[in-house]
Amino acid sequence: MRSVAPVSILLVFLSGPAGCAARKEPLHEFQFLAFGTLIELTLWGVDRDLAERAYQAVESDFARMHTEWHPWQPGALVETNRQLAAGKPFLVPHSMIPLIENSQRLSLASQGLFNPAIGRLVELWGFHSDDLPAKPPDPEAITALIAQRPAMTDLDLDGQRLHATNPAVQLDFSAYAKGYAVDRAIDRFRELGVTNAIVNAGGDLRAIGHRGGRPWRIGIRHPRGSGVLASVEIEDDESVSTSGDYERFFMYNGRRYHHIMDPRTGYPATGSVAVTVLYREAATADAASTALFVAGSDLFEAVARDLGVDRAMLIDSAGKIYLTPSMRARVRFEIDVAGGIPMGPSP
Amino acid sequence: MTVGDRVVLGLALTLIVWLYARFWGGGAAGDHIQVLVAGRPYQQEDLRRNGRLTIAGVIGPSEIEIRDGRVRFVSSPCRGKQCIHSGWLARDGDFAACLPNGIAVQVVGANARFDAISF
Amino acid sequence: MTVQVTREDVRIAWLSAIAITINVLESALPSPLPGVKPGLANVITIVALCWFGWAPAAWISLLRVLAGSLLTGTFLSPAFILSLSGALASVVALGLGTLAPGKGLSAIGYSVCAATAHMAGQFWVAYALFIPHAALFRLLPVLMTAALIFGVVSGIIAQALIRRVERA
Repeated sequence: MRSVAPVSILLVFLSGPAGCAARKEPLHEFQFLAFGTLIELTLWGVDRDLAERAYQAVESDFARMHTEWHPWQPGALVETNRQLAAGKPFLVPHSMIPLIENSQRLSLASQGLFNPAIGRLVELWGFHSDDLPAKPPDPEAITALIAQRPAMTDLDLDGQRLHATNPAVQLDFSAYAKGYAVDRAIDRFRELGVTNAIVNAGGDLRAIGHRGGRPWRIGIRHPRGSGVLASVEIEDDESVSTSGDYERFFMYNGRRYHHIMDPRTGYPATGSVAVTVLYREAATADAASTALFVAGSDLFEAVARDLGVDRAMLIDSAGKIYLTPSMRARVRFEIDVAGGIPMGPSP
Repeated sequence: MTVGDRVVLGLALTLIVWLYARFWGGGAAGDHIQVLVAGRPYQQEDLRRNGRLTIAGVIGPSEIEIRDGRVRFVSSPCRGKQCIHSGWLARDGDFAACLPNGIAVQVVGANARFDAISF
Repeated sequence: MTVQVTREDVRIAWLSAIAITINVLESALPSPLPGVKPGLANVITIVALCWFGWAPAAWISLLRVLAGSLLTGTFLSPAFILSLSGALASVVALGLGTLAPGKGLSAIGYSVCAATAHMAGQFWVAYALFIPHAALFRLLPVLMTAALIFGVVSGIIAQALIRRVERA
């Protein structure tokens, strides 16, 4: 039997190793919008079907959380805030409970520097909108709000009953919800059998497993450029959360006003440009990066210790870089940072 | 040469052209190297920092040298010294290995080598 | 009872010896990837194929790898495993080559089949067993080009050898 088939078989055989390459790199990437930012999913080592199913499950989880915890559109959080303002004890929506409980713990540990009870302040500054504010609010309004000192300790949560002892408390979980959502997404992945993946919610990410024969390589953005300042390798299970003054901000009279409020002053925290935290859970990393940003270089080490965070990096407004010892061992700088990094003209 | 010969030659040439197109896209300058020991990532080194590096392998230490943005094997306990014969590696993706010693060196370029960015 | 040694047996033995020698000499050649050889010893295999058919050629090819590794002290080493994979792949490719329709293939066609299959087999095993690293594929086009060139060259040599002997 003579045919062309044997020669074609030969060709397929010869191209075997080349075809192998495509089959041996099962990397799947998905993107969608939630929490006002881009959510990126990266999965390795699973076939297309499972990757699609996992993506759809996580996307609908995110959509649900996005709606429930939206800071100003109708949902569980808005409803909770309405009830808190009314002053009487009420049954808080179920999905709010873990956010409140965890935030109370973290707020306490961070000496109140992470404080989701300052929703009124965030709204006053105009960050409860898809558009950026045009100018700072009236200083007297700020002073009045700060005087009321809303704190997570003003909340009394008993099972599902919530009561605020301070009518000024309004909850804003923008420094926590994304990280928490990332953790839930990772749980969902694991449930579905995905063990190597990255869930990146607008820069707050958690990576599990590895990427084929190597660890995941995570870049940390330069705070004043578009390139990468540093990188870390993640194997097994770890989160990276960065808080920066460049994420949401507006300029007014030559000054930068960003969205990370200092609960003590009522103004955007000064002194820090960016903080990056490594921690297992993304929710804690998210809260910690905010708390350390507010803490600044003075309180950086003490607050990190109190929060149980041993891998953190802070860049102050002069471009100087502070690293905890464990972070120094983990981070790899991609540019020369010998004398700090240039900050450019903005204060 | 028979007709069959020509067919075989044509197929082989086509395959090779395809292989170049598939695996040689790129050619960015190397930025750092990844050293692998026994197939697993072991250490990274910046290609801008001149110097020598000794790595312990299965049968002994191998030495690599970084100079002027390039890297090469300098010494190795293997018999064939194929790793050393690979010469200088400079471009993204360049690769040399001392198989008997289980040590490989890969040049990595600066572009798109992060799986995710935190910002 | 005496064993009859045919002229064919002598030729096969002679070819095997040459193949083994070439193998040992080839181990001194440098290459971009350790242990991966372009397959010059295939000349012998091709000549054997044209003279005696596929089975004796396959036997010579595998014997060469085995004996060669014993002589160079590389038996069961990575180099040996690579050589063996290459030899097995080229033997299979030659078998397929014999099924070519019409006039079939000449020494050159067989040689190209064998050399490219040899390299592909070696590469595949190198990737699967030794360096499962994506960067290895950057070497593949270069290796296959070398294999093609050597395949053509050894095919021409084999053809010249065959013609020479047939004229004699």
